[in-house]
Amino acid sequence: MANLILRNVSKAFGTTDVIKSVNLEVSHGEFVVFVGPSGCGKSTLLRLITGLEEVTDGQIIIEDRDVTYLKPSKREVAMVFQSYALFPHLTVAENIGFGLKLSKVPKDEISARVKEVASVLRVENLLARKPRQLSGGQRQRVAIGRSIIRQPKVFLFDEPLSNLDAALRVVMRIEITRLHQNLGATMIYVTHDQTEAMTLADRIVVLNEGRIEQVGSPLKLYENPINRFVAGFIGSPAMNFIKGTIDTDDNKMIARLGPYTMEINKPNLNQGMEIEVGIRPEHIAIVSPEEGILTAEVEIIEKLGVESMLYLKTEASEELLTVRTDPKHTIGTGDRLGLKLPESELHFFDQKGDLV
Amino acid sequence: MVDQVATLPSSREFNPWPVGIFICLLVLACLFLAPTIGVMLSSIKTTREIAEGGLWDIPTRLFLGNFVEVLANPAVHRYFLNTFLVTVPATAASIALGVLAGYVFSKLPFWGSNLLFLVLISGMFFPPQVILIPLFQFFNSLGLIDTLWPIIFIHTALGIPICTLLMRNFFATVPNSLREAAILEGANEFQVLTRVALPLSLPALAVLATLQFTWIWNDFLWPLIFTQSDEKRTIMVGIVNLKGQYSVAWGVQGALSLVASLPTLIVFLFFQRYFIKGMTMGAVKG
Repeated sequence: MANLILRNVSKAFGTTDVIKSVNLEVSHGEFVVFVGPSGCGKSTLLRLITGLEEVTDGQIIIEDRDVTYLKPSKREVAMVFQSYALFPHLTVAENIGFGLKLSKVPKDEISARVKEVASVLRVENLLARKPRQLSGGQRQRVAIGRSIIRQPKVFLFDEPLSNLDAALRVVMRIEITRLHQNLGATMIYVTHDQTEAMTLADRIVVLNEGRIEQVGSPLKLYENPINRFVAGFIGSPAMNFIKGTIDTDDNKMIARLGPYTMEINKPNLNQGMEIEVGIRPEHIAIVSPEEGILTAEVEIIEKLGVESMLYLKTEASEELLTVRTDPKHTIGTGDRLGLKLPESELHFFDQKGDLV
Repeated sequence: MVDQVATLPSSREFNPWPVGIFICLLVLACLFLAPTIGVMLSSIKTTREIAEGGLWDIPTRLFLGNFVEVLANPAVHRYFLNTFLVTVPATAASIALGVLAGYVFSKLPFWGSNLLFLVLISGMFFPPQVILIPLFQFFNSLGLIDTLWPIIFIHTALGIPICTLLMRNFFATVPNSLREAAILEGANEFQVLTRVALPLSLPALAVLATLQFTWIWNDFLWPLIFTQSDEKRTIMVGIVNLKGQYSVAWGVQGALSLVASLPTLIVFLFFQRYFIKGMTMGAVKG
């Protein structure tokens, strides 16, 4: 059963269309992550769901109830803000119980529920403190506590970890996953961080210029992107792209990539077609220069411990090609290498950027 | 290192500027303090001592008769009461209206709100003499002359621009996400104001309370215009009224001036901690 449905949701600020007819169904208990570059409308879409912004057109349904024009507080959604948005003059306990106090819940009940939530988030010993006396991670926990105490239908997270340092981000990511498993609640999470999106999501929604480019599981988006934008956006380091043209040689279909040619077998490509070939860094095979389809020179090596990244200069592309390799390799800067591009791992995009 | 040692003696050379600035400030401070010291000295002297030309002499004995006379005078009690009856409601009303208007201008802007804000602020630039006669005629037509109402209304109205300006600017520093978080928690706009924005704005409120209280308490012009009988006078007009028929009672007036300035001093001391914080707010984001 769908917990949240967006039907042709659009939003314009003045004459600028920020969200363009978005359709999405989120199932009960699902963890959906909105990703996209800055200004793609992901935060706006979240604010439309909360009701902090009103839609220009379309419909928002939460648990079979049309909430499109309902006040934010009537939608039974809770949001965790990027800046935590804790009330600085209130203690942790007062912050967590703020909504219940407004709804005139009896004091004893507020106190009991605050303690319960605090123990789930391991902030029981901080209840009397003010937000300024807390660390970044603790503040984020309190902000999450304030959102879960009202048992909302949908949880919304607006880049909640972007203000934390890298180590704390990993810890909080695990905590959010654990929270999702424990509560079994529907969660919608906005981030521009690849890793957060890939690790947290049941499904990822890739947004670009106010439109949904693709929706799917992290692995599906990684392995089968439907266009160049998704292919380039999902994955870190990003997919390599090489421009080329389709040609025939001795009745065989070939792709010309700069001065190099490679035989391909793609019936839906036509001769003379301008294409862009995409390949993930881990799928490029390093061989001797004589054996390779392309030859390349090593310009930069990044040793990351578990793996190494090679940045290679080749005549096939103006951009450096990225290759993920075993860290135990003996390749050095300036070495000449041969590269093989397995056809099964190649993604062909037409001039409009669509997958062919 | 060698360079540093070599330049060390020159940094110890006599610099006349700080000394010059200090002397200038000292002279200015003396000039500003002189009237207050004059009032203090005259308040503890007998009329005879002052009449003999010894206003600035240090008194040989402490004469508290002036204070006794002032504090025992029923008219002075009335002046104090009237001043409180004007100052407290006018201060509260102007701040309350400024808070409401400031919140709307800062957090709930609407079409034309910036223009309206400028129109409202321009109210600060009208000299009181320009509106004095129309206001007198207006309140006269309402039959409110020789009551405290015109003074309360006028001070409330004149306080709105500065209160709105200060509160709008302060509310602008309260992050929007706090308002949105409160709204998502079920707060209405009034609850956002009273439960979130106002508790965070105590420094601004303290500044306004101190400024408004002092201005209204010390005001001389409006009570002079709108009150006629002794029963309706406020303290500042009352001080003038205490002068004798044939001679000026310097000592009594001096004592009353000091007593009259006590409430503003108490208000300032009460809000001092917030006041300093409020005056420097926005300089560094805390």
